[in-house]
Amino acid sequence: MIKSGPSVEIINVRKVYPSGDEQRAVLDGASATIRAGERVAILGPSGSGKSTLLNLLSGIDEPDSGTIEINGLDLRSLSENQRTLFRRNQIGFVFQSFNLLPALTVLENLLLPLELIGKTGNEANERARFLLEMVELSKRADSFPDRLSGGEQQRIAIARAVVHEPSLLLADEPTGNLDEDTSHRLMERLEDLLTSGKTTLVVVTHSRDLADRMDRALALDHGGLVEY
Amino acid sequence: MRLLNKASVRYLKQHRLQSVLSLLGVALGVAVVLSIDLAIQSARIGFQVSAETVAGLATHAIQSDRGSIDEDFFTRLKLDLNITEAAPVVEGLVTSTSLPGRTLKILGLDPFSEGPFRPYTSGNSPGLDLNRFITTQGGVILTEELASEGGLTTGDSIVIFSSGVRWALPIVGLFQSEDRLTRSGLSDVLVMDISGAQEVFGMVGALTRIDLRILDSERSYERTIGEITDNLPNGLRLENVGTRSETMAGMIRAFDVNLTALSLLAIVFGMFLIYNSMTFSVVSRRTSFGRLRALGVTRNEILRLILREAFWVGTVGTVIGLALGVFLAQGLIGLITQTINDLYFALSVREISIDTASLLKALTMGIGATVISSLPPALEAAGSTPRAASTRSIIESKTRRVIPMLAWSGLALCLLGWLVLLLPTRSLSVSFISLFAIITGMAAITPLGTVVLIEFVQPILSSFFGTLGSMAARGIRTTLSRTAPAIAALVIAVSVTVGLGIMINSFRGTLINWLDGTLQADIYVSLPGPQASRASGTLSDSLIKDFVSADGVAGYSTYRAVDVIRAEDTYRLVALGLDQRGEGAFDFQSGDSDAIIRDFQLGRGAIVSEPYAYQRQLDVGDSISLAGEKSARSLPILGVFYDYGSEQGTIIVSRDLYNTAYNDDGVTSLGLFLGDSSQSDRVVQDLLDKVPVGREVTVRSNATLRSASLEVFDRTFKVTGVLRLLTFIVAFVGVLSALTALQMERTHELGLLRASGLTPAQLWRLVVGQSGLMGLIAGVLAIPVGILLSVVMINVINKRSFGWSIQMQIDPAVIIQGIALAFFAALLAGIYPAFRMANTSPSVALRRIGE
Repeated sequence: MIKSGPSVEIINVRKVYPSGDEQRAVLDGASATIRAGERVAILGPSGSGKSTLLNLLSGIDEPDSGTIEINGLDLRSLSENQRTLFRRNQIGFVFQSFNLLPALTVLENLLLPLELIGKTGNEANERARFLLEMVELSKRADSFPDRLSGGEQQRIAIARAVVHEPSLLLADEPTGNLDEDTSHRLMERLEDLLTSGKTTLVVVTHSRDLADRMDRALALDHGGLVEY
Repeated sequence: MRLLNKASVRYLKQHRLQSVLSLLGVALGVAVVLSIDLAIQSARIGFQVSAETVAGLATHAIQSDRGSIDEDFFTRLKLDLNITEAAPVVEGLVTSTSLPGRTLKILGLDPFSEGPFRPYTSGNSPGLDLNRFITTQGGVILTEELASEGGLTTGDSIVIFSSGVRWALPIVGLFQSEDRLTRSGLSDVLVMDISGAQEVFGMVGALTRIDLRILDSERSYERTIGEITDNLPNGLRLENVGTRSETMAGMIRAFDVNLTALSLLAIVFGMFLIYNSMTFSVVSRRTSFGRLRALGVTRNEILRLILREAFWVGTVGTVIGLALGVFLAQGLIGLITQTINDLYFALSVREISIDTASLLKALTMGIGATVISSLPPALEAAGSTPRAASTRSIIESKTRRVIPMLAWSGLALCLLGWLVLLLPTRSLSVSFISLFAIITGMAAITPLGTVVLIEFVQPILSSFFGTLGSMAARGIRTTLSRTAPAIAALVIAVSVTVGLGIMINSFRGTLINWLDGTLQADIYVSLPGPQASRASGTLSDSLIKDFVSADGVAGYSTYRAVDVIRAEDTYRLVALGLDQRGEGAFDFQSGDSDAIIRDFQLGRGAIVSEPYAYQRQLDVGDSISLAGEKSARSLPILGVFYDYGSEQGTIIVSRDLYNTAYNDDGVTSLGLFLGDSSQSDRVVQDLLDKVPVGREVTVRSNATLRSASLEVFDRTFKVTGVLRLLTFIVAFVGVLSALTALQMERTHELGLLRASGLTPAQLWRLVVGQSGLMGLIAGVLAIPVGILLSVVMINVINKRSFGWSIQMQIDPAVIIQGIALAFFAALLAGIYPAFRMANTSPSVALRRIGE
């Protein structure tokens, strides 16, 4: 685990998806630099490539051209397996659709990232329970995700993303399913969880409020990244 | 990865029905293979143990083809050649009214020569009173178990029938051997003094064989062997002990291979089932796997997770299958020994021997097959990217792309299988590998066939049933990743059933035609024996005289059969005194029948059966040898006739020719020709009235013998029928599993339809209709595949196994049955999901998070 959040370099990234018989460039020449420990919001209309960018930053997907460097490490130079291990160890991801594992209880969903990095037993258990408390869902520890409301699932998704203290936290609309008050409270908690300077945070959002809480905001415009 | 394992277990628990069906599929597949293996092994072991116990410590035996050696030779052997360790034996098979349904072996021994041979006949053997044994006329000793089975004990008499003559043999002792093997080996044996046995078998002055102990550690070994061989009279030979039993055991090789191959089909279907289940389980968890990959679980970890799951399903299923297999084997052993009795040799095995090697083989096969069949979906899941793993459309579009390639590969596999079949080999294993390649190839072509048929039926369904009809058809095409394996499994299962059905029907039809041509006489006379399908024993001269001179009898043929069992060859030698009226009985492969029969009657050569010629690669003009006590000579083959009576093959020579070689004027059976055929029932009754009291003779009209032969045929195919059924059950479970999974996975989609206004009844029709349509498609595709399989089974497998030519006959009923079977099986498989879906509230269906 790195001591301070990594810097992120996005250099001339292009990503194309097939759209019918044609190819549609979602990202086209996107470039940006995110400094170590910085908190950045990515804004843009639906379909502008915000989620794609997070997938590329996490190594879930690969750019068709261009480079993404995390702390100077070019993700394209890593093998599939290395990228997976990098993601496991360094990255926390709050997915827009939560991506909780339905066969695991709420507590187990939080324990999984810890188990993947080799943390088990009491220490892991205490850490997971601590986070459940932080997101005010201690009582739902033994529930299965399909028994939770959308907002509850979102809070669990956030807790799971930070449980293993990632150096880079990527969040895709982390408050999209929450009302304003809950959203506000949750972001405060999240900020408490992310010890200053140790985690670089990239948040994709539609919310101006949320963007305002970040150090700065970038906007996706015609496939490129621009300062907002 | 404790949590990942936990998630796996929870998944299996949540999808309980699916998991149970998977376990059932593995268990049934393993059970079928194991039961056949155990039943055949038990039959072999039973036969071997019995042969070894009866042979005792003998190292060699002097045998004759006819099973009759002049007693004087034994005396010569002892006195002139000074062979001290020699024991005369008279043995034969009898039936008993005290033990109905059992074939018993009478072992006639000379207690004074037995010393070094069979310890259980020695004076100090428990339960054996040697004095009583020698002094009681016809006294027999048997095992306690056999006696108690017939409710008998020492002092009682056991009633037996030998060559139709009734004998009541007093029981003078019961074997109480501590040795389980000895007891098992003697489980169907009556030991009696040799003179008594000679009387029972009408062999006074003759022996069946002479047992010898010539140890190769002795310095004089070679000399002794040489001396005996040099002094052997014509028609006798010296063999190592065990040669005969090994040769006999080898006779069931083709039967064994065919049953084993058929049982392996169950495993293949089981593999389809597991493949289906695992594909479903992987596809339905693609979102979860995508999430895990996104969280940092590597491809190898996903692969290991799925294979571990398959391993446990395989292990649990296999263990259940082992228990089920042992149970099933108990039921099959009776059918298998009955078939061996009917077709090969007398055998009485009542218990299965649980062989560790068979258990281990089945265990490895069950677990291995499960893991191997899980490998493709596991690799698929592990190989996809986190994004692709969670996108259903990617999987379906990939499947659609793969279909043409799969069809080409299937076609290539079929062609390869076909080419291998054309290789000039007679290996059954190669033939079955080719057959399996063709079956797998056909399975690979099925998805393309499905797409083509859907294209064809969709507009029809649309015009008859509107949008729902169209949806049912389109649903199959859009979810090919799951529907295609299910349809392929059903196609293969039904095609094997159709193929076997066509083969059995063709065989039966051919047999009926053959019987019509072969059974020329009006009445057949033989002695009741232990084997229903082949006459044995010798009809008495007086009986023959009485019968052939009976009122209404215009002529007769005599038939003498000898089963020649030599180390290098096994066949049936028949001496035929052929009446002119019976000359049309033979259908020859080639040549002028009249000329062949004329030469045969004049003793110019022999005629041989098709299996005899095929297995030895002989043809008309080649030579065979006829070596009896009187002379040995080489004979040309005059003709090769179609015959379905024996797979070992038959040589037929004229009676006169036989008499020049053998000291045997006995007759095994008679064929009587009547002046007026319509009087056969009356004449049968008249002949039976002539049979003296205490004797049994089987007198059957042409029609009765014909139906008795067909009864034996049907009985020998009973075990095939059972296997066919079991195999189909495995396939059905596979289809049930696949279709249930498929429909259950559509919960969300069907919930949407319900929410959009579809009534439960409409939903029911949609789900059941789609399943039925899949069944119908499978049925239609199964027919050409089934016909192709039957062509291979009839022309290659059967020919190489048994050497028979079978005329292919396609009964439309078999085709209709095949389609109906597929349709109704699929329809049945759709009922539970339809019921579940129709009764699930749309809100619940929509709320469910698809795993």
